[in-house]
Amino acid sequence: MDAYSIVSHSLVLLQATCVILVSAYLITRSRYFVEVLDGHRTWENQLALILFFGAISVYGSVIGISYSDAVISVRDLGPLAGGMACGPIIGLGAGLIGGAVRMTMGGFTADACSLAAVLAGLAGGLIYLKTRRFPAIAFSVALAALFELFHMALALALSRPFSVALDVAEAGVVPMMLANAGGMLVFAYIVSNFIAERENKAERERIQRELDREQAELAVAADIQKSFLPDAVPADSGFDLATVSMPARVVGGDFYDFIPWEDRLGLVVADVSGKGVPAAIFTGLAKTILRASMAPGKDIAEVLRDTNNIIADNSRSMMFVTLFLGCLDQKNRTLTYANAGHFPPLLFRAKESAFSKLEVTGVALGMAAGMEYQVRQISLNPGDILVLYTDGITDAEGAGGEMFGLDRLASAVASSNHLSSQEILDRILKEVFAFSADQEQFDDITAMVIKG
Amino acid sequence: MEINKIIIYDTPILNVSGKIDAVTSKQLESAIDELLKLDAKMMLLDLREVEYVSSSGLRVLMVAKEKLRQRHGDLRLASLQPLVREVFEITGLKQFFSIYPSQGEALKDMLHKS
Repeated sequence: MDAYSIVSHSLVLLQATCVILVSAYLITRSRYFVEVLDGHRTWENQLALILFFGAISVYGSVIGISYSDAVISVRDLGPLAGGMACGPIIGLGAGLIGGAVRMTMGGFTADACSLAAVLAGLAGGLIYLKTRRFPAIAFSVALAALFELFHMALALALSRPFSVALDVAEAGVVPMMLANAGGMLVFAYIVSNFIAERENKAERERIQRELDREQAELAVAADIQKSFLPDAVPADSGFDLATVSMPARVVGGDFYDFIPWEDRLGLVVADVSGKGVPAAIFTGLAKTILRASMAPGKDIAEVLRDTNNIIADNSRSMMFVTLFLGCLDQKNRTLTYANAGHFPPLLFRAKESAFSKLEVTGVALGMAAGMEYQVRQISLNPGDILVLYTDGITDAEGAGGEMFGLDRLASAVASSNHLSSQEILDRILKEVFAFSADQEQFDDITAMVIKG
Repeated sequence: MEINKIIIYDTPILNVSGKIDAVTSKQLESAIDELLKLDAKMMLLDLREVEYVSSSGLRVLMVAKEKLRQRHGDLRLASLQPLVREVFEITGLKQFFSIYPSQGEALKDMLHKS
């Protein structure tokens, strides 16, 4: 073969490759292909795909390049690829079209070549039935090459005179295998990419839906958690009260509560270990058990002891809750309390203008059953301020990684001690947020201010 | 947070540094779980370089201690900084753990007994 014919043959092959490339692209982007891929088969989309792949097969015959004594065609490619991608009906249909057109072109291998086109569609279809998805690119390419080997065997078996058929087969087998393998490489690459792209998109959409659903659930969970908090500060306690609770995430592990208890008022500020949903679920449990334990006639120590025992017996997750339980007595102006491992509340004495802490009187609830809690009592005189808080306030981080700490909390209280409990609370929050200006709120923040 | 694991006489030791908060406590939990696969009974956590432990971190320690207790072992702690010690004292966790002033003293005690 001279240089000119090599170049012209190469150009024809390049042209064929481009046609297959564009066809494959168009087919995969058509709604017919997508519908069949999704399993929505109609007469319309199947017929359209039969025509598509049939047309590629016809093109594969027409483009035939004379090489030595053989004509190199890529006729089998359309039916084979169509069958593999869309199933036996489309493979066979395309094969019949390609085969019929080849029949009209005549020649002594017409029977064998036509039959090969039909069998290519059938083979592709059978693979589709077996795998139900487009095979790997390497497999597809190897299959296309092997099918051409089979095509040549068919030609030898059916075409006479045998000696001429053998010459043609000898000359054509390698180029045919290469041409069809190359065509299949292009086609399989595009189809595989398309399918992977679609699956990625479907996966992305699924994850997005899942996220949306979880977010909606979290919003409901947040509403439920908010509804667990008291609607308002009790008006008739005889003390000036203010509270705040701000989860770091949508839901949180802090809670506070006001519980009318006999003729007194129970106060709770608590912090469950951890954050987010697990902690939030646990707050519901802790709050409910605590309320159920607050039977008339019991003292605070007994309430905490029972609450601790129930939580410890039921908490295999090793969750625990630090909890301050106080009881305000309006008549005697006292606070009776027990502190189960909670950060010691800060007490400001107006008379001395000095701070003290209400230290812990037992361990956090839920760590181990059988714990005992001590009860203490303080007086709350006019102007005295008690601040119950969770570590979201004292552990709030400043720009340099420094923590807000107890001293800053105390100075915020001291500087606003002449104001109402709500104003003191506002001052505390303002200072905390000013301190941690650039930082995201990292921990749940809950506080209660009680002014005598 | 950084975790360095070493094993001395079959006793896994975790040298932790940084902050053990809601995020990093999960790393600590996986590191401990990894060591629990070794079937060791005793484990030592050296908190010399730890400046902060959140309640999530405390829970991880309680869980690890409970897992070791179930195989008749224990999780011991060493070298608590003042702020960390305070958290252990306030929550009451202190009374559930054997806490040593230093890794050396912890090992001396632990290896001597086992």
